[in-house]
Amino acid sequence: MKPVSSNTLRNAVVVFLIIGILFLALSGYLRPVLGVVMDPFVAAQRWLSERFMAVYDFFTLPRDVTELIQRNSELEDEVANLQSQIIQLQEQLQEADILYSLLDYARSRPADEYIAAAVIGRDPSPFLQYIIIDHGSDDGIRYGMPVVTQQGLVGRVEAVTASAARVQLISDAQSTVNVTLQTQDADALIEGSISGDITLEMLNQNVSLNTGDILLTSGLGGNYPSDILVGQVVDIQKTENELFQTAYIQPVVDFDTLRAVLVITNFQTTNISPLTNETER
Amino acid sequence: MLANFVSIPFMLLLSVLQSTAISRITLINGCADLVLIGVACWGVKEKGYNAFVWALVGGLFTALITAMPFYIPIASYIFVALLAKILFGRIWQSPILMLIIVVFIGTIFQHILSIFYLQVNGVNAGLITSLRNITLPSLLLNLFFVFPMYVVVSDLRQWVLPGEDYE
Repeated sequence: MKPVSSNTLRNAVVVFLIIGILFLALSGYLRPVLGVVMDPFVAAQRWLSERFMAVYDFFTLPRDVTELIQRNSELEDEVANLQSQIIQLQEQLQEADILYSLLDYARSRPADEYIAAAVIGRDPSPFLQYIIIDHGSDDGIRYGMPVVTQQGLVGRVEAVTASAARVQLISDAQSTVNVTLQTQDADALIEGSISGDITLEMLNQNVSLNTGDILLTSGLGGNYPSDILVGQVVDIQKTENELFQTAYIQPVVDFDTLRAVLVITNFQTTNISPLTNETER
Repeated sequence: MLANFVSIPFMLLLSVLQSTAISRITLINGCADLVLIGVACWGVKEKGYNAFVWALVGGLFTALITAMPFYIPIASYIFVALLAKILFGRIWQSPILMLIIVVFIGTIFQHILSIFYLQVNGVNAGLITSLRNITLPSLLLNLFFVFPMYVVVSDLRQWVLPGEDYE
């Protein structure tokens, strides 16, 4: 039998020792010993690392701040761009909503033909109630055409250029519209005023008028089509010794916030002035 | 001459601003008149007659937009220029005080003309209602816009006519 060499025996002992130590370490028996041995090393490494990072930051931080400022500025620009896009999209959404409402209204009255127009201005004089729209004679708009929204009557075209038109609102002091009560067979007039208030005039005293009564265009006079919603009665002024009763009207259209309107293009206004002149003679 | 040429784009800008934005900013039923204020601001700062050209140009642009007859804005703005010319240098040499007086009297004159026109055309423009709901609020808004407009017109004047200010 060949004798085991001392080298082999030593190697075997070392291997067994290593395996044994590994086994003990993996089993957790060496943790207290390792702690005692490693803690000073870890502490020294932490101290060294902190000092190194402090020195590293000292040399590199200014550059990082510049980069951060630049990046921050870029992001702020991006946020501003996105906010502006959001506002534009909200604006477009609002316009789309208005146009959808106008489209619904146009579909509900298929006999009429419409041109949609945006409101681009108001009359500079505070005594007059006019709006300016962005469509004119080039688009087929003519003098006298009635103007409506999905809510009701707005007014009529009073002046036209090639690319714009001026619309007299029913609240203007020189505007009169023939109306009828929705629930009763009674005709009357509504008149605007310099303050934009609308009053119901020429209504017979026998008619029983109530707050909240709805007014529609009657079609008399030939200036407006019939059965367009105008407004409702809010305050009645009835005096016994007057020939007619009057009332304040709340229009269904909010003229201050008008953004888009529909011009009825196939309505033929009737000029009855020769008849009235004949009568006067 | 340059001042007269500058009046065209400036008054056009004021007219467009007036129609699109300022007319929507109302106090009761009144609203400011940028063109009137612009003419007044130019008028109180010069001895010459350029303000009359400004008044004419502003009046023509306004007449294109408004449903009022063309002579009402033109007459109103020429009156403002004339008033500025008459009062120039007479009130403590102070353009700001004179400007306030010119805008105040000019606004009242313009509104009297408008009410007169409406009355002649059969509109019942009650004087008390007009004064309470339109004229007084318009005066207040006009006086509110006077100072920013004065700064703008002063800068424009420095650019167009450098070294010709009479303060």
